[in-house]
Amino acid sequence: MDFRLSDQQRLLVTIARDFLDKQASTAVAPAGMPHERGLPADVWREMARLGWPGLLVPQALGGSGGSMLDVVLLVEEMGRACLGGPYVGSAVAATALLLRGDPRARQWLPAMALGERIVTLAVAEEGASFAPDSLAMAVDAPGRLEGVKLFVRDADVADTLIVAGRGAGGLNVALVPRDRAGVTVTAVALMSGENVFAVEFRNVAIDTSDLVGSPGRGLDLLRAALRAGALARAAEMVGAAQRVLELAVEHAKVRVQSGRPIGTFQAIQHACADLLRNVEGARWIVRSAAWNADCPDAGGADSRAADTAVATAKAWTGEACLAVARRAHQVFGAIGYCEEHPLHRFHKQILASSVDFGDASTHLETVAGAIGLAPDAV
Amino acid sequence: MDFALSADEHAFAADVRRFLADHPPDRFPVDGMDAGYGSGAHSRAFLRALGERGWISLTWPRAFGGEGRPLMFRLVLFEELALAGAPFGPLAGCDQTAEAIIRDGSDRLRAELLPRIARGDATFWQGFSEPGAGSDLLSLETQASRDGDQWVIRGHKIWSSHAGISTHGLVLARTARGGRRQDGLTMFVVDNATAGMDIRPIRSLTGEVYHYEVFLDGVRVHRDWVLGREHEGWAQLLRGLDTDRFWGRFYKAPMLTRVLRRLVDYANTTVRDGGWLAHDAGVRRRLAAMATEIEVLRVLFYRIGWMLAEGLPTPYEAALAKVMADEAGQKLAALGLELLGPHAALPPSSPWAALAGEIQHLYLTTMGHTIAGGTSEVLRTTVATRGLGLPREPRART
Ligand SMILES: Cc1cc2nc3c(=O)[nH]c(=O)nc-3n(C[C@H](O)[C@H](O)[C@H](O)COP(=O)(O)OP(=O)(O)OC[C@H]3O[C@@H](n4cnc5c(N)ncnc54)[C@H](O)[C@@H]3O)c2cc1C
Repeated sequence: MDFRLSDQQRLLVTIARDFLDKQASTAVAPAGMPHERGLPADVWREMARLGWPGLLVPQALGGSGGSMLDVVLLVEEMGRACLGGPYVGSAVAATALLLRGDPRARQWLPAMALGERIVTLAVAEEGASFAPDSLAMAVDAPGRLEGVKLFVRDADVADTLIVAGRGAGGLNVALVPRDRAGVTVTAVALMSGENVFAVEFRNVAIDTSDLVGSPGRGLDLLRAALRAGALARAAEMVGAAQRVLELAVEHAKVRVQSGRPIGTFQAIQHACADLLRNVEGARWIVRSAAWNADCPDAGGADSRAADTAVATAKAWTGEACLAVARRAHQVFGAIGYCEEHPLHRFHKQILASSVDFGDASTHLETVAGAIGLAPDAV
Repeated sequence: MDFALSADEHAFAADVRRFLADHPPDRFPVDGMDAGYGSGAHSRAFLRALGERGWISLTWPRAFGGEGRPLMFRLVLFEELALAGAPFGPLAGCDQTAEAIIRDGSDRLRAELLPRIARGDATFWQGFSEPGAGSDLLSLETQASRDGDQWVIRGHKIWSSHAGISTHGLVLARTARGGRRQDGLTMFVVDNATAGMDIRPIRSLTGEVYHYEVFLDGVRVHRDWVLGREHEGWAQLLRGLDTDRFWGRFYKAPMLTRVLRRLVDYANTTVRDGGWLAHDAGVRRRLAAMATEIEVLRVLFYRIGWMLAEGLPTPYEAALAKVMADEAGQKLAALGLELLGPHAALPPSSPWAALAGEIQHLYLTTMGHTIAGGTSEVLRTTVATRGLGLPREPRART
């Protein structure tokens, strides 16, 4: 075992922290003022210049051929800066899916690596679940799409949607341009200030050439995307929780009551110790899961093991980081209740991440199966 | 980063599993209670079997009769033994004492004790706590005074785990006064057979004897049996305690994995209120949540092991992981009892007890884990001050 970051990874993190610290004041939407387009265009351009959207993309396709482990290190920094935007959806989840697709699907990757094209996933439906077997929408090719996908991220800036649904011979995944006839996008604001979208499909034509991979074989593709998305969201929570921890400790050192810093009170010390426990636990389970997802056979026969590792990390991290946010409120006292104070933004960011790409109960059910609990009798 | 065992470590894990298959752990006679930490019951016979294989001295330098294997092998050994529920209770104490003797012991201590430890013939109890000195260990009153080449110890230790069935104690005593409280303490290795030792059992909440109370009345110990330097016992203790928190809890995650597997089997085969326990959404979710927590523990403990192997400082990590491990153990044991339903209230020895009473026994013993080796309160303070740099609480003047 080796728990050290490589030199390259350290460089990635240092550059990211430096850049994001500078952007933090501008890139993060002021509270209560939703992002209109995910991120200010110049911030996204700068991220693209740093090569981040191409991190997962092989060098032959214009990226830097990085790993999921690299991605979680980078996204942790983004979470620490409470940075929203299309990175996780497009550069991580959609990219992970297209990477495993046929050459036709992979042709999108060079533009995505440059940040010039944004692709987003449309998975959850009325049941609001990211579990592949919960999907009801029919995706057949040739055929027509009918129905609504919910909680779609970045649909305002995306050029293309990846739509997952039931096909005749199994799960299908189709690439649908957002401007295709019959596609309507409606924004819904999240508490975090970001938007998610309801995407309505009315009589939308699908051709066999729209499918990624052969008909009925979309499950592995979707799984790869869900793993990558869940890992990235988990890393985002780690970063946000890390920032909450830093703010809480700083506050505990300078806020004086009864003639001494509140950080000398054991009740406050112990709360802070628990924040550290949750942040460190979350950080290392996410890194370990990312490493598992990177294993050469993770996409193939052994993808169950990778699914379990990711589900474990996402479920634990969601609960642990939400607990960090809640406990930190107690450390801050009334000041943390203010809109002006950053705590609630991180809290809401963690909340949004905790339910994206599978909430705790979805992931815990994956783990329940993996530890051998007999499947639920229907 | 790399989160997998190396090929050599895998091969060694397979060796350990083969050994356990050839020597089923439940066939070894047991001489002391399983305290629930994950290292199983105290079994001299099992310890000797490990000694025969060279696995007690696995990571000692070759110059001291060891196999010179990297520290990671010890973690692998602990993990495999704990997954199998083997009775290796005294092993961590042997490891730590040997480590201290190799690092700081006199030549005589090394010559006399290391071979016996390696064979599984010497086991150790810790004589730190006293009736008036618990969390505030520095208020201890046991004293030792010099008489020629010997130290003469007088005092009263309590909560010494397995003291009556071990061969030697590590006894912390005050040897000089006047300076700061942490100055003037010395750590002695004391043979249980020495005249003046009176070791009395204390029955624990499980009904078995686990703790002992030890009265030392003019116990004579040669200077060569001082561990580390005279009057510098506190430094010796701190080094030992921190690794104790790590080594004494490393096997908790694999032990909890084993218990979780038993609970999964139980849920899969038990009908309650007209349905399989395993089909109950709440049961599924809570067992799965425990599985995630155990996985987090495993990664955190391996990370600390790696840090120790790399010689990196771990100012708060072991304290943090210990608190987490002990609380996770309490949570799993409590969940286990809940799954047992009305069986939960049966004593472990009851013929009606499900899963051979293991869950009840674990539940009771876990009550001590958040106390022993530093209470969770004291350790959270350690994490806050040493890990986060929060200012210390003003001390009462003593
Ligand atoms: C299972 C078990 C095995 C043990 N084995 C050994 C052994 O082998 N050798 C040995 O020497 N000892 C052993 N002990 C004793 C153990 O080290 C002490 O119990 C421990 O240090 C706590 O001391 P105490 O029991 O006197 O509790 P106290 O120190 O009286 O604590 C009681 C309560 O007060 C709290 N408290 C005390 N001081 C503070 C503080 N400064 N800040 C906040 N809260 C505080 C504690 O957290 C606890 O909740 C064992 C104990 C147990 C339970």
